[in-house]
Amino acid sequence: MQEAADSCLAIERPRELGDVRRFSHEAMATVFEVYAVHPDKGYAAQAAQAAFDLTDRLERELSRFVPNSDITRINRLAAGESTRVSPTTLECLVIARHMLELTHGAFDIAIGTGLPSLELDAGDFMVRATTDDVRIDLGGIGKGYAVDLMAELLEEWGIQVALVHGGFSSVLALDAPEDRDGWPLTLSDPAAPSRVLARLSVRQKALGASGLRKGDHIVDPRTGQPAGGRIAAWVSVPRPRVAEGSGAAHRAAAGAVTDALTTAFMLLSLEEIRELCERTPGLEAWLLETHLLHIGGSAA
Amino acid sequence: MAGEDNKTKGPRKLDRRDVLMGLSTVPALGLFGYAWNRQRDFQETKAAEAAAAPTAPADLQVINVALLGAGAQGQILIDAMLRIPGLRFRAVCDIWAEYNQRRVVNSLKRYKHEPNGYEDYREMLDKEKELDAVIVATPDFWHERHAIDCLKAGKHVYCEKEMSNTLEGARNMVLAARETGKLLQIGHQRRSNPRYLHCYDKLLSEAKLLGRIVTVNGQWNRAVTPDLGAPDRYAIPADRLKKYGFKDMHQFRNWRWYKGLGGGPIVDLGSHQIDIYSWFLGANPSYVTASGGLLYYDPKNHEWYDTVMVVYDYETPHGPAKAYYQTQTTNGSQGYFENFMGDQGTLLISESEVNYAGQLYRDPNAPAWDEWVQKGYISAPQIQETTTTSEAPAIADVRESVAPDRHTVPVSLRDPYHQPHLQNFFDTVRGKAKLNCPAEIAYETAVAVLKVNEAIEAKSRLSFNAADFKI
Amino acid sequence: MDNGTLSRRALIAITLMRIFVGWHFLYEGIAKLTSPSWSAVGYLRQARGPLSDFFRWLASQPNLLANADNVTMWGLTLVGAFLILGLFTRLASLAGMAFILLFYLATPPFVGYFYSIPSEGSYLIVNKNLVELSALAVILVTGSGRFAGLDRILHSLFVRRTGSPPRDAMAPAR
Repeated sequence: MQEAADSCLAIERPRELGDVRRFSHEAMATVFEVYAVHPDKGYAAQAAQAAFDLTDRLERELSRFVPNSDITRINRLAAGESTRVSPTTLECLVIARHMLELTHGAFDIAIGTGLPSLELDAGDFMVRATTDDVRIDLGGIGKGYAVDLMAELLEEWGIQVALVHGGFSSVLALDAPEDRDGWPLTLSDPAAPSRVLARLSVRQKALGASGLRKGDHIVDPRTGQPAGGRIAAWVSVPRPRVAEGSGAAHRAAAGAVTDALTTAFMLLSLEEIRELCERTPGLEAWLLETHLLHIGGSAA
Repeated sequence: MAGEDNKTKGPRKLDRRDVLMGLSTVPALGLFGYAWNRQRDFQETKAAEAAAAPTAPADLQVINVALLGAGAQGQILIDAMLRIPGLRFRAVCDIWAEYNQRRVVNSLKRYKHEPNGYEDYREMLDKEKELDAVIVATPDFWHERHAIDCLKAGKHVYCEKEMSNTLEGARNMVLAARETGKLLQIGHQRRSNPRYLHCYDKLLSEAKLLGRIVTVNGQWNRAVTPDLGAPDRYAIPADRLKKYGFKDMHQFRNWRWYKGLGGGPIVDLGSHQIDIYSWFLGANPSYVTASGGLLYYDPKNHEWYDTVMVVYDYETPHGPAKAYYQTQTTNGSQGYFENFMGDQGTLLISESEVNYAGQLYRDPNAPAWDEWVQKGYISAPQIQETTTTSEAPAIADVRESVAPDRHTVPVSLRDPYHQPHLQNFFDTVRGKAKLNCPAEIAYETAVAVLKVNEAIEAKSRLSFNAADFKI
Repeated sequence: MDNGTLSRRALIAITLMRIFVGWHFLYEGIAKLTSPSWSAVGYLRQARGPLSDFFRWLASQPNLLANADNVTMWGLTLVGAFLILGLFTRLASLAGMAFILLFYLATPPFVGYFYSIPSEGSYLIVNKNLVELSALAVILVTGSGRFAGLDRILHSLFVRRTGSPPRDAMAPAR
């Protein structure tokens, strides 16, 4: 699937955002950006650079195109072999497994045999394959996971007013600039990016987008058939507040979850999406078929 | 059926012979079924064995390890060491207790190690009696004292490069290792990289694919990055910074740029690759010419040269050679690589698994490499997709020479970059290997590399004596 | 019947050849059927030669690829079983030749072609695919199923009874 998210989710008029500073970095085959408010420009640049170094490290661990990444090693495991991975890789796999179950298979990181053939030992960070043909790709979750960690790092640096995104397919908004109640984001038609479908004001939320350009298709992992009908899907999940000093055991993985759900929501039926939104407090979805549908998020 | 057939008036009825011959090949299918069944049983047994409980780790002697210096490099080393079996992390020492030390201790705890955190390495050496080995990843100007004190406390030491920011310091480290009889491995990790080892052992030493290497060039180009910072709330108190030789937080984070603390990009980056020049050429340089300067970064808080260009002269066992090296920190064009050019071929190599992961070009006039392709030393040649750009019919276009055969080095690293070098160190601690980069070798590299900064300052060509490299 | 011109020994040799070729097809098919993840995608992606564009395009079409995978797996299996049994021998030979021709054209050992999946031997233009193709051609023209194989029974039962000229016994009973 071609990600056309950069044309269906955007910040509205970023230049009018006053003293917001913007930093860009290429990673994971896209452009990551940090928008941050801090009185000291040099300090903000250093914080952004530390966040970008983090994305580079994640790419080295998570990309299946990097020959010595954790994921490549997993993909080369023979049946019965195991390999030790970084805590971040393991956490991504655990989230991916959870999302696979939650979406009844609509979100799947497998490009061969996937998670069912992997045993994850979260205590020892070991991943073990039970068959020879495991092939996974974290492309559908990696960028979202990266913006989660970037946001945590910025908070650690004392930068509370910020927005980070990876190619605008995964956006994570922290606090909003002073005079606003949220970061102004627009949802637009991927086939005609100038056609704005909805305007949002977002803070402490992760927002993800998945869309199709003309001629693109998306394959349903449950059937192997191209899915039809839906042009774009946007998903938003509130960022849980993690208590200070609670350690890194439970991360606020709103970005990773959002990233996974945008892919799944291109495929799931409206009933399934409604049901998921009802069950999950704060989960909101926008779906573009013939017109824009907004599901969930009413009670907040 | 048969009865019915009997009544028909065909030219011939279905007789016994027809039935026998008709069914004569059916047993072959039965035989196939039998063979396939056996094959399936075999595969299932194999899969079941594979899926069964993982094999218990071999009876490894556990090595007690401490990390001294938990910064970016220390964290990379920890990441690689966590994948090496048989290590127990006992201590982490870093003066930045508020941040890096705490982070590394926490991440080791997630892997069920129970390391103690220290700010002062002497306290660590006093209290941690069981340590077998210390991994030193502190700023260069601390290496000498850290490595020597650890050696003298009876620990084996893996010390990051550059060995020291001074030759005297490096020399003292070599002597301390000799005196104590403890191991001192220096972190020129390419020396243990399987691709570099393959190139040296097989392609250059055995197959002599390049013929005589006459020139070398290499580079490490890096794009502009802001100086390293630190979260305000975790700043180190001024008195502690001063106690450990830093004037402020900026200097603590960016020590590589400061004279007396680090050596600048030529030492941070160039040292890895100039080490390979000497290794592959089989000689230390005899002369160095260099130019460099601080062209871009703010001289208020940067001292070393951000741009350096070097030419080395070598007298190799096969004749003279010249090697160019550049490092600059304002444009990342083409990243980093080493390119060895012989009269029969070219080897373009880098540590990266993504770019320049080992390419070979055979000179059209050189002897065929088929033998080495068949032995698996190099890949089969890839077809050069020649694109004809000229529209006029190329009747006698002599400008374009024949594209050389392009091969790749079929060896790559699947693990984190530093893992094999650390593995080599721990294997040697267990008495099962020999250090790939002992202090004496790293000292030779330090002599060659530190001289570059000297040559830039002197603005003249400097010479080396063979004795310079020996201790 | 063309058998008439061949000696009995020649017919036995051809039958043996038919069983071996069939065995090979059958196992190629069954091995793919029983491997959960087999797909022609890797093979198609490294296609070279005159039809490479078509094969690569095929590899990029998920639903077509799934069909191609099924046709290949079941086709090889059935062709193999029929060749061993000597049942519908001519049809099976023709289908087998079509498969092999496609395999050959996907990765032909033409001058100057190299493949990332190494082959076990050395080939120039002629490879074992082409040899197997010509073996199937021999089986096709000699109708070996009618010498030793189920075709002989079918032939005796249905074709000769009606007195029609010898044809491969593929027609339904009525």
